[in-house]
Amino acid sequence: MTVQRQYTLPHCNLVLEGLSANANDPLAPLTVLMNAECHLPGATDATLTGGREFLDSLVAAVSRYGQQLLSGVSSPYLGTTPPIVEVKPGEGACHHLIVHQQSLGEPLSDVNAQPPLDIKLTTVQFYDLLEAVDQLLADTQTLPDLTAQFQAVSRRLVQPTDPVAQRAAPAALGAAVLAAAGLALFFVPPPEFEPTRPGSESTTPAESSPNPLDTAPDPAVDEQSTELDDSSAELAAATSAAEDLERLETAPPITDAATIALLQSDVTRRLQEAWADAPRPSGDLAYRMVVSEDGDILGYKYENDLALTEVDNTPLPELTFARVDGAQPAREQMAQFIATFTAAGDVVVEPTNAPPPSASATAAAAEAEELPTLDNKITDGDRIRALNSALYDDILAELEPLSANEDLRFRVRLAESGDVVGYEPLNAAAGLLARETPLPRLVTTSDSVAPDSDRNQADFQVVFTEGGVLEVSPWDGWP
Amino acid sequence: MPVDSPPAPQPPLVLDTLANPGLPNDECPRRARIQLDLLLLAIEALDLGGGEAMLAISRELALEELVKNRVHLWLLRGTNPMRRYSQRRPLQIEEAKALVIIICTLARRLTVLVRQLLVGYQQLADKQLSPEHHFRLADYLSRFRNHFRARMNPRRAGVIAYSTDEKLDELAIQLLQQLLLCAGVLGSQRLWSSLFDGEVS
Repeated sequence: MTVQRQYTLPHCNLVLEGLSANANDPLAPLTVLMNAECHLPGATDATLTGGREFLDSLVAAVSRYGQQLLSGVSSPYLGTTPPIVEVKPGEGACHHLIVHQQSLGEPLSDVNAQPPLDIKLTTVQFYDLLEAVDQLLADTQTLPDLTAQFQAVSRRLVQPTDPVAQRAAPAALGAAVLAAAGLALFFVPPPEFEPTRPGSESTTPAESSPNPLDTAPDPAVDEQSTELDDSSAELAAATSAAEDLERLETAPPITDAATIALLQSDVTRRLQEAWADAPRPSGDLAYRMVVSEDGDILGYKYENDLALTEVDNTPLPELTFARVDGAQPAREQMAQFIATFTAAGDVVVEPTNAPPPSASATAAAAEAEELPTLDNKITDGDRIRALNSALYDDILAELEPLSANEDLRFRVRLAESGDVVGYEPLNAAAGLLARETPLPRLVTTSDSVAPDSDRNQADFQVVFTEGGVLEVSPWDGWP
Repeated sequence: MPVDSPPAPQPPLVLDTLANPGLPNDECPRRARIQLDLLLLAIEALDLGGGEAMLAISRELALEELVKNRVHLWLLRGTNPMRRYSQRRPLQIEEAKALVIIICTLARRLTVLVRQLLVGYQQLADKQLSPEHHFRLADYLSRFRNHFRARMNPRRAGVIAYSTDEKLDELAIQLLQQLLLCAGVLGSQRLWSSLFDGEVS
């Protein structure tokens, strides 16, 4: 029995004719499709007709395009044969329904091929077509095997929206610029690199100065410089960050005791922090280190055999500052320390005795060294108070603004007569900025050293605060 | 058999029509979060009582487990990264399903109005006239622009793209068309599937 199903919407009329499964049952579903017709009043007068193939293609194309409108992601057609129905976006808000119609009963050939039918649909018209198709899909009484298949478009099938030319443009531009730059730089001669070493610098001008007109290179200088180059190359090759103290030993030593003390505490703290959770060695590890003025560890060398084997357990390789110009002789000032990593987990850093304080050390630095322990203290309370106020006045009279950004603490020793015997910085900043204070000028060196040791003396604490306030108090507290 | 605990809460039946998209995790991709919030924004611009209607629908369809109240709905919509007060929380798949159902149900109720506006827009476009000549359409567009500018973070790159009135009108019309497509019988499934276009493997 022939059954007709009709899906009617304002701009679309979809009519299906077919056979029902059971001729005697009026409610049996339509299972065999004979003909499908689609009228699109308002859009076209033509009637789209076709069999099951046409209907399947219409359903697939319309459904796919509907999803594309919602997501903006176009899904490619995956079938093998060219689709009978296609929907494509048009300009503005319109859509193109393209139907490749073929007369029934005739084989497809070039002779009878008709031009595809292109129907322009507005969004509302397209929605009606989509809704008719959806109602057909949702209808279980018509073609139950035709159901909705929704599938999100796979990431692999997403086509980039930019055309190939647009995407390739930046890459092409980059390649062109590179080629142009290469071409331009081709004509620029490569820069000639002539390594100059401070040793050869001093000899070359001396050798060439007697006869400046002689342009031929002096063979002796050449040989010398090549030897120097060879030796420097060997040195660079042999240099490892761990063991090149020989080069660093030639550096000028740091003689200022306060700086050494500051470096000592700084390096000790850094080593202890870095070594905190490392495995403890079986015995003491001793290393000789060279430390720059900035506190960088420039090199180190083991002092005992255990230290060599356990070096990787210490923080030294990590903390060692890799110099950029490894082969250059060191010019900055350096200090040498012996670092001992004890089995108990402590780090002891002591300055080596190798660089003795040279004679060029300034008087202020020498005076700023530690004061000997006081044997004969002044015990008279009135005298101490008087000395305290005298010292305060003396310092204040010559005090100028200091550049310190923290308190400067000193221990100042006075003889009973009121002469300043010596002073000792108590914090690192005080050691560095002692010259800015009036203390060096106040020290009377004439009769301070030996004869005073048996006379009574008193210590005072002098603090130059960050805010510029001077505080003077007896070392052992007010009597 | 004695039962000593209440039965585990079942997900609302209305969500069964939406199949899980097969994402690697249970969180919605970025584009889906933006799309859902913008569609809700368009509904609000169409219907002054849209915000109330969303909550009413969530009660009618027994989606209260997923969209509990006004604040919770605001939190869900705040997963849109373009928002001024964008939420860091992810949008779960189930919550997104509830939003899809709400959008499609409201879109179905507003079908007649949406059709009118789109037909009017088409007629004005054919005559080369601006949308201001259609009273309801101009109303919708201006309300959408106001909503968008009040709620979206103007410093976001995605929002900067809509800095002019023309761009916002384009977006509003596009959302209107999408709402129409959501209104059909299979609209919710189509919208749901479209949210993950290009996201699944």
